[in-house]
Amino acid sequence: MVGANHTLSTAWTVARLEWQLEWRQGHQLAAVGLFAIASVYVVFQAADQRTGAAAWTAMLWLVYLFSGFTAIGRLFDRERGDVRRYLQWTADPLGLILGKLFHSILTTTALTAVVLSAFILFLGWPQGMEGPGKPGLLVLAAWLGGFSMTTTLVFVSAVASQVRSGSGALGAVLGLPLLLPQLILATRLTRGALSDTPWAMLSEYPLFLAALSAGTATLACILFPYIWRA
Amino acid sequence: MNGAWNWIWKGGGIALLAYVILRGFSTPLQPGLVTASPSALKTGKQVLNLTAVGQPFATPDPSAANFTVVLRAGTQLLRTEIQEVQPHGITVEVNVPNSLPSRTLDAFVFTPTAGTLFLGNACFVEDAAKGDIPAEFRSVRPDETPPQLGFSFPYQPNIMESIRNLLWHVPMWFAMFFIMGLGFVASLAQLRSGAVLWDLRAEAAVRTGITFGLLGLATGSLWARWTWGAWWVSDPQLNGALITVLLYSGYLILRAAMGEDDRVGRLAAVYNVFAFVMLVILLMVLPRYTESLHPGKDGNPGFNKYDLDNSLRAVFYPAVIGWGALCYWMYTLRLRMNRIAHSLLSR
Repeated sequence: MVGANHTLSTAWTVARLEWQLEWRQGHQLAAVGLFAIASVYVVFQAADQRTGAAAWTAMLWLVYLFSGFTAIGRLFDRERGDVRRYLQWTADPLGLILGKLFHSILTTTALTAVVLSAFILFLGWPQGMEGPGKPGLLVLAAWLGGFSMTTTLVFVSAVASQVRSGSGALGAVLGLPLLLPQLILATRLTRGALSDTPWAMLSEYPLFLAALSAGTATLACILFPYIWRA
Repeated sequence: MNGAWNWIWKGGGIALLAYVILRGFSTPLQPGLVTASPSALKTGKQVLNLTAVGQPFATPDPSAANFTVVLRAGTQLLRTEIQEVQPHGITVEVNVPNSLPSRTLDAFVFTPTAGTLFLGNACFVEDAAKGDIPAEFRSVRPDETPPQLGFSFPYQPNIMESIRNLLWHVPMWFAMFFIMGLGFVASLAQLRSGAVLWDLRAEAAVRTGITFGLLGLATGSLWARWTWGAWWVSDPQLNGALITVLLYSGYLILRAAMGEDDRVGRLAAVYNVFAFVMLVILLMVLPRYTESLHPGKDGNPGFNKYDLDNSLRAVFYPAVIGWGALCYWMYTLRLRMNRIAHSLLSR
């Protein structure tokens, strides 16, 4: 039981530390938000407010994907050199990854809010839709897709942080193929939310996304100690 | 003893592949109906031409009396009169009644040597009312003669001659699964023991597996062009296959990015374990829960829907073993290269 307590207290400490650093330094989330809003603005300039549902979905997920890379890609940048060696001796690796996962999910939730509101603000609701659409499902699709993306990206950035040169670019390269299944499911769900497809026909996508996230998060937790060990 | 065994499995594998290639390309396809023209009929006397592949009508005595052609609407049969029999086609006159149980007609040709040929949705009657076929237009079901064909592959509409691709495409994916499974086990062993040899094995397996994955994609793309009309379609199985190959390419990129870092073995093993779990999810779990054009999703992949008959089985099973042996041979060669490179570098 001591092990489990140690893991949980490590997770809590790591998550709280990340949060405090975020508030004190404040550049990480701000940088991501800036990236997201600037990207949406470029999309707005190029596509105007007459975007159909297909293009709307494609651009939403591209902006979201690269904002995700920006937000999570540098997750382990602080744990290098001496800090890393210190944490290898003192911190429980499972607790460390759980804390990072928790922090990343909070970040992604904030990112979802920023990207979606920016899309609605600048681009408006997609044009030429058959039905009224389902705003609630759109929010669910964006958040669940982002959640799924995050669990994979945490693993990828943990792997990439071990590579001495150019970890940022490597994270993006490794992350893209790993994220394709999540993105396929998430874009289908988004298209469903922007059409008059009944809920019942879309119910499998959230389940698949949740199952995929749970699977990748579990794998990340199992494999992380091997990455982390010196 | 070991040397002799090596000769047996390598030689046996190559012999099986030679057999598969020869038999796969030399075996004739069973005859089958391809088209009916015109595809839209009107009520009254109409002439219908049915074309076939495999020369089912080139019997020793191609006289009209040996053949019977009937059209089926719903469950009722419509009589036809044969006008002309050619090796590749048969022309019939049909008197289409005003009332039919169904506006689409299936065609059946009963032949003396090639068995019964079937073409579903052969033609469409534009102006028929819904109702029973009047008695004077009807046909009784003719007697069937079992096909007297030698060793031949079954005819499947749309697939036709491309059924031979079954001996390439499917075993290549089987070989990829097999060698990636081997790589997965090697990576687990690497994580457990940390021994370099397991890392070299995993690298060799993944590299060979990617080769077979690319071959599987290429043969699959050819097949898709022939049967579905496009080189690539958005389908759960195809998405999964492409993502799998991309994932494993990521493995090679990760190794290349790490260079001669001594942690490459463990990190690559971690990535490989992750990739294999994704492979199982993408190719074996997800496609079964979503609709797919790709056959073989209702149980054992690749088997049930093809309805493998005995002639196809007699070539397909050797193909699976032959491609598997070739794949394993390529793996052992790559492993030997890896071991030599490793021993040179660590000298």
